[in-house]
Amino acid sequence: MSSQAVLEFARGPFFYFALLFMLFGLAYRLFSVISLGWSKDRVVPMGSKSKGVVVTFLKAFLIWPFIPWVKNTFNRNPLIYIGGGLFHLSLFVVVILGTPHMLVWKSLIGLGWPTLPLPVVDWMAAVGIIAMVILLINRRIHPVLKLISGPAEFFAWLFVFLPMITGYMMTHHIGGSYEALYARHMITVDVLMIWIPLSRISHFVFYFFSRAIHGQEFGKRGVAV
Amino acid sequence: MPDETIKQGLAKQGVSRRDFLKLSGLLAAAMGLHAAPVEASGLPVSLNAPASGYQEQAILHAIETKQRLPVIWLEFQDCTGCTEAVSRSVSPSLGNLVLNTLTIEYHETLSAAAGFQVEQAKKDAMEKYAGQYVLVVEGSIPTDNDGAYCVIGGRSAVDILKEAAAGAAAIIAVGNCAAYGGLPKAKPNPTGAKGVWELITDKAVVNISGCPAIPEATTGVIAHFAVFGTLPKLDKLNRPLTFYGKTVHDRCLRRPFYEAGKFALSFDDEGAREGYCLYKLGCKGPTTYNACATIKWDQGLSFPIQSGHPCLGCSEPNFWDGGGFYEGQSAPLDRPTITAVGAAIGAGAALGIGTALVNQSKKKAKKGES
Repeated sequence: MSSQAVLEFARGPFFYFALLFMLFGLAYRLFSVISLGWSKDRVVPMGSKSKGVVVTFLKAFLIWPFIPWVKNTFNRNPLIYIGGGLFHLSLFVVVILGTPHMLVWKSLIGLGWPTLPLPVVDWMAAVGIIAMVILLINRRIHPVLKLISGPAEFFAWLFVFLPMITGYMMTHHIGGSYEALYARHMITVDVLMIWIPLSRISHFVFYFFSRAIHGQEFGKRGVAV
Repeated sequence: MPDETIKQGLAKQGVSRRDFLKLSGLLAAAMGLHAAPVEASGLPVSLNAPASGYQEQAILHAIETKQRLPVIWLEFQDCTGCTEAVSRSVSPSLGNLVLNTLTIEYHETLSAAAGFQVEQAKKDAMEKYAGQYVLVVEGSIPTDNDGAYCVIGGRSAVDILKEAAAGAAAIIAVGNCAAYGGLPKAKPNPTGAKGVWELITDKAVVNISGCPAIPEATTGVIAHFAVFGTLPKLDKLNRPLTFYGKTVHDRCLRRPFYEAGKFALSFDDEGAREGYCLYKLGCKGPTTYNACATIKWDQGLSFPIQSGHPCLGCSEPNFWDGGGFYEGQSAPLDRPTITAVGAAIGAGAALGIGTALVNQSKKKAKKGES
């Protein structure tokens, strides 16, 4: 089977299946939790629930990332905070602001946007890859993380790392012809999409729901977020 | 006539020794031999000796001693574009001289004769030069309904191809249709079109893909066989490495703009006028192996990307189904419709709600028990 044929499969039917499987799986998980229902609210609210939701999101995106030292999470383990932060930033820059990825979005949702120059995206990808490696080493040597890390954590790391490293190799034409590298990248992306609903990587969707629920809870109780 | 050597034929036409030497050099260049080591070119040992490492001399020797090469050129589901390209392509000196090394015994478009006459001529040529002629195929071969979609002289394309291939010394598929099925094979492939190498499996088929094939690649390979009696080195898709060794992207004059992230976003914006990279306009250069960016077209005048149009990827198999021509290459080939997306999410949601309800009722039942 030629690389071109593998690429056609990975960009074609395999991508199609992976995308629908991901949407199916995410919908299943989301609704199976939401439909469990909430316990009855017997307390008089001390504040606005919707205000709590808005404030919690605004703070999470606009305030805490820029003054992290106020938070305990940062003070207790700055490596995870910085490494994790850079990794997520890298992912955002590459997947949303990288030209080839924008074209994927454009083909799927019919909407395009300006992108960053290749060198910028490329450096951010390198930052993300390095951050992932450091975080993996940390997970392997940190006494507490070691105890709570099982196969699920390492699979999640692997299935995210593979598309990143194959994408980087593809950009730099390392390790084969362009279409072979492209095929490898697409296969790892398809595998990741299938793995997303089966794992905690699904937090990129569920995060917003859980954050909103926490927010409204905070708002209701009048807690300073 | 094939009985005289190529050199004798040239001498008859008043080609001087000087022009003859030029031809040898030109042929070496056309075949890309100047850059290839002797071993890599697939030269037979007998030709290696007089060459002493110099390809021009090997060609010289071959032209002096070899007879003209009979060629049978078949056309099936084609548009004659590859013939057009070859016939009016190259610089006159190269074109005329390369054609002087051949005798085209059968060609539906170029033959003066027609009907039974020309079919008889082909039959005679195949008998006379059995095992010696080069078979060039243009156009794909329909295989559905016993090949009924392309019938010449009452016989199907499959039959004609197999008969001609049996006695051929070399088979060259010119153009994407003959090589990989091309346009006729595009989804849903109503005629069951196939490329030559899918049908002829007992002999090597050289694929000169492209839409049309770059004429210099076609003539270069035929000349290679005429001179050396061997086929050039091929890639995995049976394309000669000399012409298909690098991607269009690798040799593209707009490549620096790709690296710098400077793209044309439409065909008439500032980027397009500045000659920026056409990747965002759907250029398939990165995965397309062809010599467009180096040999170019019309005597090296230009090629699509140079004149502002993205590469369509016409030298790759299934390029008609390889995504929209003006859509980014990274775009997926099969995209779910909104209905399919809705169905997937709906099914997931329904299953999720169902599971939750079942769990709830189980919980209630448990409470009731206790």
